[in-house]
Amino acid sequence: MSLFVAALWHSADVNAEASTSPDGSDVPMLLFSGFGTLGAVHSSNDRADFTRSFFQPNGAGYTHSWSTDVDSLIAGQVAATFTPQLSAVVQVISEQSYNNTYTPQVEWANIKYQFTPDLSVRVGRTLLPTFFLSDTQNIGYTYAWVRPPAEVYRLLPVDTSDGLDVSYRLHVGDLANTIQANYGHKSTQLTNNGGTAEARGSWGVSDTGEYGALTTRITYQYTNLTLPPLDSFFNAFRQFGAQGVAIADRYNSEHKPNRFFDIGASYDPGDWFVTAEWAYNQNNSFVGQSTAWDVGGGYRIAKFTPYLLFAGAKARPLSDPGLNVSSLPPFLIGPAIGLNAALNSILSTNPVQSTDSIGARWDFAKHFDCKLQLDHIRLGAGSSGTFVNIQPGFRLGGTVDLFSAVVDFVW
Amino acid sequence: MGLAMVLASPTAIGDVVAVVSAKSGITTLTKTQLADIFLGKASRFPDGTQAVPVDQAEDAPARAEFYLKLAGRSAPQMKAYWSKIIFTGRGQPPQEVRSSAELKKRIAQDPAAIGYIDESLLDDTVRVVR
Repeated sequence: MSLFVAALWHSADVNAEASTSPDGSDVPMLLFSGFGTLGAVHSSNDRADFTRSFFQPNGAGYTHSWSTDVDSLIAGQVAATFTPQLSAVVQVISEQSYNNTYTPQVEWANIKYQFTPDLSVRVGRTLLPTFFLSDTQNIGYTYAWVRPPAEVYRLLPVDTSDGLDVSYRLHVGDLANTIQANYGHKSTQLTNNGGTAEARGSWGVSDTGEYGALTTRITYQYTNLTLPPLDSFFNAFRQFGAQGVAIADRYNSEHKPNRFFDIGASYDPGDWFVTAEWAYNQNNSFVGQSTAWDVGGGYRIAKFTPYLLFAGAKARPLSDPGLNVSSLPPFLIGPAIGLNAALNSILSTNPVQSTDSIGARWDFAKHFDCKLQLDHIRLGAGSSGTFVNIQPGFRLGGTVDLFSAVVDFVW
Repeated sequence: MGLAMVLASPTAIGDVVAVVSAKSGITTLTKTQLADIFLGKASRFPDGTQAVPVDQAEDAPARAEFYLKLAGRSAPQMKAYWSKIIFTGRGQPPQEVRSSAELKKRIAQDPAAIGYIDESLLDDTVRVVR
């Protein structure tokens, strides 16, 4: 809370000002800016938590009836322009992180060199352009809904990358096309002592086209993904001969290739807008294969933007017959059944879920907006959807209703 | 000239037009070319010379009118647009001046600069771009 107050005070002094020397050459031009969201979410289901991102340890529902941790965040950025070609940016964000603190994390830290007006290279940390709104997902002020739909935006637990990217922009008549290629690595701490997720040797290509009111983006991202090792768990399977080894190899999540594909488009002529996105992720581990999509639209009337948003996700597999106990000696049947149950419990966390949302955004003051949103979430049979901290009594395949209220701001 | 500026009420907007320096070689731009420059998608004029867009103050009626006509976007939509660019490190918004008078001075002295102004405030230091 005090961090928020300090940031507001600071923004009153340095309101996106640029400073430069009279001849403009020696002193870097600095641009200070920032953004934030204050939000509260209420969930109708107290047997599990709703969270916005993969990295949050708790949220609304079980841990808090009303949670301000889900959507609240604040970020500050310094962009320096050293020469017309060389610039750098550092962006620090404070939001609920894996250890339930708001310790500021560096989200962007890179140096950019503009070789020509159309070709640039960045070295350092960037947010990957995996989903349509990926690189701006934290800036509520830039989109209509309260948050990007969980079904789609939780498909891949990798959002930033440390490495380099190259961007090339092409103008053909009224069409502006930007193609971006990236290469890097990232280690991320997961929640509740869940260990570290590692994405190594990630590379991807993203192509964005802009033609008048139409924007399209198509992305392919490959990474070698290691999710926190369930080594001892899968090693237990390896004790059960060939069938156990096969299960362990199929489902363990160490150094597994992960392939991701996304296509999205938005049409925004000004008074109204429509957006749609489809994403596919494939990983040869318990994470399996997932498909997700979202479609939304809204209408702008004076300072109000009412909207509708629909999203869905389907992941496979949700279950596995596991070890064939009929072929085992009696003293191993009990442990095998236990292992099979644990495996299926892990697989049931693969999300099958759909959400219907209705809400409205109100741009009530310069650089501020507020939004109210109702979400009706339907869980697929046998899945706990995108919910975490599942408690006894939680019904797989049930429904959950959310009410969210947020205020977004930029400076 | 001074009398014309006193008579032009700050809230009365005639047509807002794009202007360059009288010393500039630019005479015409398509709507897309003009939009690309002010939205940071192009940093050069079609003839290859550098283009430096200049914005009026954020609350200036001319600015709201200009972007509504040019890109169909309101002030909050323009702020959201630039926020996306700024916070993904892809660029910076145009420089800002505090008044129409300052805009004319800025444009007149820099052949690369391009701005916009209420038609009633034109003089011979700047030229309209159609």
